[in-house]
Amino acid sequence: MAQALATTVVVASLYALLAAGYVLVYRASRVLNLAQGDLLTLGGYFLFATAATFPGAPALALPLAAALSALTGVLVYVALMRPMAGHPIFAAVLVTVTLGILLRAAIVFVFTDRTRHPLQQLGLTNPPRPLVGGAVVSTFDLVMVGAAVVLFAALLVFLKVSPLGIRMRAAGERALLASQRGINFHGVFALSWALAAFAGGLAGMIYSSNVRLEPSLGILGLRAFAVALVGGLDSLGGVIPAALLVAAVEVASVRYGNALLSDVSPFVCLLVMLLIRPWGMFGTKEELERV
Amino acid sequence: MRGRILIGAAGVLGLVAAHTARAQAPEPYRIGMTVAITGPFSAGYAPTYEAYRTYFKRINDAGGINGHPVAITYEDDRGEPQRAAAAAKKLTDGALLLINASISPTYKPVMTEAEATKTPLLFGGGVCPREAFPPATPLIFCTTSFGSKWDSRMALGFIKEQSAGKKVKVGFAAQDIPLSRVELEFAEQHAKELGMDTIPVVVVPGSAADFTPFAQNLKEAGADWVFSWAPWGVEIGVFEALNRIGWKGSYILYGHQPAQDELTRLKAPNLHALTGNAMFIENLPIHAEITNLVKGQTNHPAHYMAEGWTSAMVLDAGLRKCGWPCSREKLAQALSSVSVDTKGLRGGPIEMTADNHYRKATYYKVYRWDTARSAIVSVGGWSKLDIK
Repeated sequence: MAQALATTVVVASLYALLAAGYVLVYRASRVLNLAQGDLLTLGGYFLFATAATFPGAPALALPLAAALSALTGVLVYVALMRPMAGHPIFAAVLVTVTLGILLRAAIVFVFTDRTRHPLQQLGLTNPPRPLVGGAVVSTFDLVMVGAAVVLFAALLVFLKVSPLGIRMRAAGERALLASQRGINFHGVFALSWALAAFAGGLAGMIYSSNVRLEPSLGILGLRAFAVALVGGLDSLGGVIPAALLVAAVEVASVRYGNALLSDVSPFVCLLVMLLIRPWGMFGTKEELERV
Repeated sequence: MRGRILIGAAGVLGLVAAHTARAQAPEPYRIGMTVAITGPFSAGYAPTYEAYRTYFKRINDAGGINGHPVAITYEDDRGEPQRAAAAAKKLTDGALLLINASISPTYKPVMTEAEATKTPLLFGGGVCPREAFPPATPLIFCTTSFGSKWDSRMALGFIKEQSAGKKVKVGFAAQDIPLSRVELEFAEQHAKELGMDTIPVVVVPGSAADFTPFAQNLKEAGADWVFSWAPWGVEIGVFEALNRIGWKGSYILYGHQPAQDELTRLKAPNLHALTGNAMFIENLPIHAEITNLVKGQTNHPAHYMAEGWTSAMVLDAGLRKCGWPCSREKLAQALSSVSVDTKGLRGGPIEMTADNHYRKATYYKVYRWDTARSAIVSVGGWSKLDIK
């Protein structure tokens, strides 16, 4: 039981980091960023590249990879999403789909299709850590949980308290009104993309250090998309219980049911949520109607 | 004006010369290959394409086979059945033989096309279809080192040998694809016949975010050994998860191309890689030869080439035996009696017969990490299994 709980928290942390990206972009611009999974993969490859460039120097490689991830988000906004302003949201969503395909192709082109392990280059190890109740997790499992806790705490404080965070919320709620009040909403949107890419990239960096890195990792983004919808697409706070719920169902289906159900369990959760509360656990009804 | 006439005349002469040269160039052996060069499964198959390309470049540079070059047309099927079907249709037009180096869902459409056009079909890189085993279908051949049923027999025999008379409990980790599940269900049954205690096959989705719950099921069921026969991600993912949660048993998996790198990375003495290809740590002359030839030619390490290289050797032997002119029928006959010295890439020769298009005998070796020597070592030598 303790092991199942520990695994649930670890998986939930991964999903929460990824789902935060969906919510941040959606809240700011109403765009569903369907390239979020590929931004996770890219983050992993950024770490692989920086670790290969600065072998044995994790203090340099890790922040550099995180910065590259955030910069990618800004570039995506400037190059692809900003020109879509004024076009239907649907067109912008399609652009994110195309972006995902392009990122996957570019990754194979640059890094090939081989499975990589950035931890080797970083010169770090990933020893098991015993927990109470006999559960054991890896060091990078703990890093994943810690990263999710810190990121969510920082985001919630940032959005609630900081002037920039308040502007970000305002731009998300009433873009026209916000621009009339002098808020640079292009800057705000670019920031939301940077934060989304950072969150996805961070998840990718930790996941690839813990498990493996390969071009097809982006598939994890689909599971996290289900988490974002279950929590409510416009609710950052909703991501945490939704991630815990989806991860718990997934782990329980392996441990106590049919292991094959684990693959579909995030989507079963999503289906159930759509039937009983289509706007998600903590989403607002009004937002969904706008979609 | 005179200058223009001269330039025109020179151009015409050039064209005539080029045409004559083309007419005099020996006609090639035309071969078609449908292969997953890109796509989610390319890591396992693109090296076969690279090995073929390098192997036959060298052959052609040296004058070809029987005085004729080998022209291989490659089609990237991305591991998608519909693309493979289209590729097979295109490639069988004029090709003496079709090669499939892709995932198993592409087999059926390619085999259908090969059968319809009476084109011999050689599988190299992907798991061998049952049609290559005795009694073989006349046009289906396979050179891949791993083969269903035989790998399980070998792996379980190894576990039994290592257990030295002690009764062991064996678990099985399959991926959620039919081939892997069927193989490990067979293995579970075979283990029971060998007197082992078994744990029902644990089926793992390839896209699982975390392999720990699957590993936990195996650990809690009391597995002393776990055997995995699946694509590499699941094979190694379950092992790492088991290790992470403090499992103390032994693990054996089929050693696909990444095995050599991964044994070195993990340095885990309880991880055993069963393989039909000699690892390049053995530093055989053929390994050095391949390493030199592929330098700068591939996106993968030289040891990823073993599977494709062996397959190319078999095709080379078949074409030599076929002579010139060579027809599809003659080539199929030639391959049916081919005997290829693999120069140590495998444990013995690849010998096919009229009703055995896999090989008369297959050879396996098990490698693991030796902590004391800080190196990969083989656990014993080659083991031979007669294929009947």
